[in-house]
Amino acid sequence: MSLIQKARLKSLWVMHYDCGSCNGCDIEILAALTPKFDVERFGIVNIGDPKQADVLLVTGPANHRNKEVLTNLFDQMPAPKLVMAIGTCACSGGIFHNCANVLGGIDKVIPVDVYIPGCAVRPEAIIDGVVLALNKLAGVAPVDDEEEA
Amino acid sequence: MNPVSTLIAVTLALVTPIIGGLLAGVDRKLTARMQERMGPPLVQPFYDVLKLWGKEPMIANRMQPVLAFGYLGFALVAAGLVTFQQDLLLILFVMGMADLCLTTAAVSVKSPYSYLGGRREFLAMLSYEPVILMVDIAIFLVTGSFTVAGIYAYGKPLAMVLPLALIALQFVLVIEMKKSPYDISGSSHAHQELVRGVFTEFSGYTMALVELGHWAKMATTLMIFSLFWAPNPVIGAAISLGMFFITLVVDNIYPRLTWQNMLKTTWSVGFVLVLINVAALVLGGII
Amino acid sequence: MNPETLVAVNVGLPVVSALAALLLNDKRIRTAIVSLSALVLISSSVLLYQAGGIVFSPGHVYEQAVVVLDFTLLLYFLYAGAKAKSLPVIGLGLAQIIPAAYFEFVVKGTHVQNIILVDNLSILLTLIINVVGSIVIIYALSYMEEHEHHLKMKKSTQNKFFFFMILLLAAMNGMVYSNSLYWLYFFWEVTTLCCYELIRHDGTDEAKKNSVLALWMGLVGGVGFVGAMFLGYNQVHSIALTDLMAVPEAMGLAFALMALAAFTKAAQFPWQGWLLGAMVAPTPVSALLHSSTMVNAGIYMLLRIAPAIQGTNLSYIIALGGALTFAMTAFLAIRQTVSKKILAYSTIGNLGLIVLCIGINTALSNTAAVALLTFHSVAKGLLFMSAGVVENKIGSRNVEDWEGLMDMLPLTTTVLIAGMVSMFLPPFGMLLSKWVAVDAVASSPLYIGLPLVLLVILGSAATTFYYAKWIGYMTVMPLGLEKKKDEELEGPYKLSMIGLLALNVVISVGVAFVINKLVIPAISSAYPIVVSTTGLTVDLGFTSFPVLALWGGIVAVFLIGSRLAGSKGGKVAAPYLGGSNVPGDYTKYRSTAGGEFDLSVSGIFLNASLDEASLEKIALYIGVLISVALILVEVI
Repeated sequence: MSLIQKARLKSLWVMHYDCGSCNGCDIEILAALTPKFDVERFGIVNIGDPKQADVLLVTGPANHRNKEVLTNLFDQMPAPKLVMAIGTCACSGGIFHNCANVLGGIDKVIPVDVYIPGCAVRPEAIIDGVVLALNKLAGVAPVDDEEEA
Repeated sequence: MNPVSTLIAVTLALVTPIIGGLLAGVDRKLTARMQERMGPPLVQPFYDVLKLWGKEPMIANRMQPVLAFGYLGFALVAAGLVTFQQDLLLILFVMGMADLCLTTAAVSVKSPYSYLGGRREFLAMLSYEPVILMVDIAIFLVTGSFTVAGIYAYGKPLAMVLPLALIALQFVLVIEMKKSPYDISGSSHAHQELVRGVFTEFSGYTMALVELGHWAKMATTLMIFSLFWAPNPVIGAAISLGMFFITLVVDNIYPRLTWQNMLKTTWSVGFVLVLINVAALVLGGII
Repeated sequence: MNPETLVAVNVGLPVVSALAALLLNDKRIRTAIVSLSALVLISSSVLLYQAGGIVFSPGHVYEQAVVVLDFTLLLYFLYAGAKAKSLPVIGLGLAQIIPAAYFEFVVKGTHVQNIILVDNLSILLTLIINVVGSIVIIYALSYMEEHEHHLKMKKSTQNKFFFFMILLLAAMNGMVYSNSLYWLYFFWEVTTLCCYELIRHDGTDEAKKNSVLALWMGLVGGVGFVGAMFLGYNQVHSIALTDLMAVPEAMGLAFALMALAAFTKAAQFPWQGWLLGAMVAPTPVSALLHSSTMVNAGIYMLLRIAPAIQGTNLSYIIALGGALTFAMTAFLAIRQTVSKKILAYSTIGNLGLIVLCIGINTALSNTAAVALLTFHSVAKGLLFMSAGVVENKIGSRNVEDWEGLMDMLPLTTTVLIAGMVSMFLPPFGMLLSKWVAVDAVASSPLYIGLPLVLLVILGSAATTFYYAKWIGYMTVMPLGLEKKKDEELEGPYKLSMIGLLALNVVISVGVAFVINKLVIPAISSAYPIVVSTTGLTVDLGFTSFPVLALWGGIVAVFLIGSRLAGSKGGKVAAPYLGGSNVPGDYTKYRSTAGGEFDLSVSGIFLNASLDEASLEKIALYIGVLISVALILVEVI
């Protein structure tokens, strides 16, 4: 693979956005950044600026207010980009899925590449999801645990 | 200058971004170890820049990419002036041109983070410029010349005569490397200040250019600091790497402070230290 | 062409042209007069450079004419003072006219053997005055048309305007050729007259008030000259400058008085008020007063007497005054929002730097001073002219309104940025001059140099701050609010701005040539040569300025940068606002309550840290101290 492609796999810059989450998943994301799990050794940095980010980490369900913001942030990210829906709420709306203001998971608003269920998501699962995302970037098919076992 | 030394000087100048990149890698690794983590590989900054280069081009306005290159370009010109042993004031002014490109690029975008970051960068320049100017003048008073060549010709290590100037320059290094407590206009990676402050509206290849420029400036600055022990380049390098390390420690200990604090401290401590040094030399009859 | 004729042309032609412009109030005739005069004056200045210096006396009829004109002028000043009910003007006017009358008719001391003395300094000043001055007056042709159109004036007063503008050139030329203190003083007062009339041209109350301020401050200088004449005549029975400078020890107080006059003309503290107030005048007035003429008179005066006051306390006080002015104006400029005020403070600051160099009074520092003078005149003229165009086109003087200029007025904005950049960055001449100034200050004896060094350093840092800030204002490109290009520049605008910009670049690339052929000769009669040039490089002995390498670097960086930007392209993205951009509209964001708000950004003025009022008060007190010290140091 080309040098730039290899570099993309080694340097994943993350932008985190909380759609309407209870902050449980957000705390777990932060935990993943702490020394105990240390995702910076994979080149992952929480960069906070969509213009410089490769991955959009979204927590919480999409609703009528934040769909505009979400679209805006997604549009401001230059390609190649990935979206990871962190937590059950982001995946499908979770326990709020049939609330009046909730649209559902964030895939109702922007295309999602990786879904990581959990309430709240464990940091290990987030890292797993990142590996999936990297594989997707590299064009490698996702590993199916059940087939292996 | 003969062809060989010219070639060496040019190559050294062009290689400063790579030197700076490696230093940035060391920075992240050491910072991680200080925080009891593993940290990224040493060449991580190069992966970052390559990845940025491969992003879809996205610009804020048509001046931005030209100015982003200007930042890198003038940093390289400044590096060249150092390797060709030219005048220190001139080197300072050319680095100022690089900064001007960066701040103009930031301020040209009507974005609050970028604009505010640019304004704060002016304040950072206002803080450290007097210190560097005073150090340059002190060097002139000691060696009789403003040029890098003059420092070599002086023969004795500057650090023996101007130790307080080195301490003052430590303040300057902290501000230039955008490390706490003075990373007010845009912090280095893992931290956010005003989102990314002066760097907010850069993306893709323009961000890559700014990163490379930042590395070139960092390497050039450390090259200048190594002149404080000109007779022995190894000791000189040790001095600048030592100051680099101190910056990292300070970054991990201190929180971010306000621009008022930066201005006041740099002027009242840094600038005054150089003055005291010069006064001591005058009283001691050395100049 | 012999020098006498050229001198006559330089002084006489502008008078004729001015009268012609006054009497023939027609746009096309005026354009012809101005263009023709410009051509003649520029040519005669160049020819004078080639012809070299001369000493002579014009006929006795000219001496009598000067006496008549001088007293007419002083009476007019008294009349103006009475009309404005201004006690300072009347008082200072009387303080001049009575002693002058006594001196002329009783003592009969105004005759001088060699009235006209043209040396290399005069020649350099002539070039600056005539080249930059003519370009500015050409610029004024377009500017005043637009100006009167904006003010919806029914009857054009441009004849009066151009009369005084062109007359100013005559007065300045006359001044730099005068060896007789009386003639110098006369031409000095003519410049005060032009200043007074031009500032009050628009006739508003503010204009009238500020013109009176300029008048009495100018008259202070006049009183200084009268005093110097008396002192000179008393000691050496002559009022020829050459005679006065031959006995410097006895002439200390006379020189101090002349220095005081210089300070008022160059708007050094505490005399800066008139220059700041002069901003109400139409921009060509500011461009002419502040770049090539009026203020240069003060600098010229100091340069003239510099060799005679080397090493004296007076010289040191002059240096201190300049340094303090430089530092304080830099900080005051940070607080300004009006574009012309910023330029005014910048002018006063740079003049302070020049005055500082003259005060240090070494060969190196005076080389720096003359170099600074040359480059400053060109760059400042350029800045004022382009700022004036912007003002006219957008109708605002507030720099915060200068958003989107790059789109709306690309040429003018580029000229503005080039002018600004040339004021403080390499490889332009101003940077070299400033750099030499730092060298000069650093190489003086430490107890003299150190306080000056501190002031220069602080001033430089603050200068970078407000210039970088201002460049920022001009380059803001607000997405969604792109202004359409609206840059119809008439001939005189284009000619003057591009012409002066080209001159700026040429003298910056050829800085070595300028220093070799113009700067060094101007001071080499009294000082040793310490600066040399090899090819394009300027060598100061302990350091050198690699002009070619720097220009090559600049050009390369911008060429490569543009190519790269062009090849990479890129879509334009909205600014980052935390995702709250209103879709499809770059200019608005959505608040938490759901409403749409306009995106606005504004500058940094350090309101809390720099209190303008108290800074100005401190500056005033220090300035008064300096002026008092100037006189006292020679009295005691």
